[in-house]
Amino acid sequence: MSEAGEQETPIRVMVVDDHPMWRDAVERDLQAAGLDVVAVAADGHQALARFPAARPQVVVLDLQIPGPNGVEVTQQVLRTDPGARVLILSASGEQDDVLEAVKAGATGYLVKSASRAELLDAVRRVARGDSVFTPGLAGLVLGEFRRLSDPATAGPATGDDDHPELTERETEVLKMVAKGMSYKQIAERLVLSHRTVQNHVQNTLRKLQMHNRVELTRYAIERGLDED
Amino acid sequence: MLRAITLVNAIGINVYRRDELVHPWGGVAVVAAITVWSLVVSWVYADAVRRSVGWLVADGAVALGALAVTPLVKGADFDATIPGFWVMSALLAWAIRFRLWGGLGAALVIGVTDLLLRADLTMTNYGNVYLLLIGGPIVGFLCGSLQEMAVARDDAQRSAAAAAERARLARVVHDGVLQVLALVQRRGTELGGDAAELGRLAGEQERRLRTLIRAQDAVRDDRFGTGAVAGTLDLADALARLRVRAGVDVAVPGGSVDVPAEIGEEVVAVVGACLDNVARHVGEGAPAWVLLEAFPDRVEVSVRDEGPGIPTGRLEQAEAEGRLGVAQSIRGRVEDLGGTVTLSTGSCGTEWELTVPRVRERSTR
Repeated sequence: MSEAGEQETPIRVMVVDDHPMWRDAVERDLQAAGLDVVAVAADGHQALARFPAARPQVVVLDLQIPGPNGVEVTQQVLRTDPGARVLILSASGEQDDVLEAVKAGATGYLVKSASRAELLDAVRRVARGDSVFTPGLAGLVLGEFRRLSDPATAGPATGDDDHPELTERETEVLKMVAKGMSYKQIAERLVLSHRTVQNHVQNTLRKLQMHNRVELTRYAIERGLDED
Repeated sequence: MLRAITLVNAIGINVYRRDELVHPWGGVAVVAAITVWSLVVSWVYADAVRRSVGWLVADGAVALGALAVTPLVKGADFDATIPGFWVMSALLAWAIRFRLWGGLGAALVIGVTDLLLRADLTMTNYGNVYLLLIGGPIVGFLCGSLQEMAVARDDAQRSAAAAAERARLARVVHDGVLQVLALVQRRGTELGGDAAELGRLAGEQERRLRTLIRAQDAVRDDRFGTGAVAGTLDLADALARLRVRAGVDVAVPGGSVDVPAEIGEEVVAVVGACLDNVARHVGEGAPAWVLLEAFPDRVEVSVRDEGPGIPTGRLEQAEAEGRLGVAQSIRGRVEDLGGTVTLSTGSCGTEWELTVPRVRERSTR
């Protein structure tokens, strides 16, 4: 694959949804737009079994699926291929499991009522490495950082100063996303480039995912020590 | 177990008092009989299925029989009956099986039989019978209570399991319905015309259902004791319900944001008023965003729209004319809660930012 050819190579996508109607609709939309749907799966088991062979760049994932749920699939998929991207497509709206999926490494989130254009845009942006937020998700992430920085709610495990903190600018940008402003509007308001706004948003996600990994490792170590 | 102890006691007493026996072999026969019966009945009672009325009646009859043959074996002027305290095990079996009345009945029958057999009534004999009469019903009553408690506990466990299963099924059904509604909404909007109207309706129903599910989850969490304390309101949940309004998007932190109910209700009402204002000035169904942020000491709520903004001087003008405009009313209500309001408006829209303390301040003003 040449450097120049990368632009034209269609994005390889895998669609995971237990609802056949939806799976077909999403698959059709993506194919019509020239994307390459390399695999589909109806549940977590199928998704994990087909992922290694299909090697998609983007996994369009419904959170409510049978078998290993969306959060677990996100974790497994990114462990198998850290270069893959996960776009969550959820019917049930902003719930805590969306936050869990994002902590596990998903970089995009869209509600199912989003239009076809929004879906295509989201898949392309996620494939590029951007993060796709809804205001609702931004609110959840913002709330999570607030919770972690408050010693009363963060719990004894995070007693040290190792909780992730957002810079003032990152908080400002995330807050604007949560208030429904587009990256373009935020860039105009803060006199920043679109790219900078995007970077700030991505940094917030990275910090949250990093913290999640640290927490998981710490938990594993504690459990391991206890067993001695 | 009790049966075994009382049996050993009965054997021991009879061996010790063997000189009292008029017919020693009769005594041996009776003791052997109750020993065999003890073994049989212990095996029978070991399994709940076999604890039938027939066995219990037989158990009672053996105990009475053992009592009744005492005068024949020991002579009319005996001191202790052959089975002695062994009759207690039959009595307790009755108490356990037939509760209060079983215990009382068995105690009466055994007590009366015991007294009738004796030539003379001593205080000790009377005391033993009296204890039987008290003990039987009490054990029966306790067994009854225990069994009722066990039944109540089983019921509670069953209904909790049923509720959890119902909730799980509801989630599956709801998820399916939401999926279809979302699909109709999406396809409808793409097709345009009448289909677009269908799509819009589907979207409305989808929002309603989502709100219902959230409300239902809140109720369930409450029931299992993880939810709000009485007198408090989950502001995150209450504001999320505003998503039913067309065009309104609500962002809240995960989990619950508990505030005193009076404060929470007022904040929701004020946010509602802000959204009404958006609908009136920007248009019905115009997009608006609500963001809730929770801090340890306060909550911050932002309501933003992308309308033309409030013209400069209009608020002041309304005030000068003596009209209490929406802005004033919103400001007043939030200040009553000890909070502050920041209003920013311009060509790119209007944003209300409400900051309200989480505890009610005792105003000294």
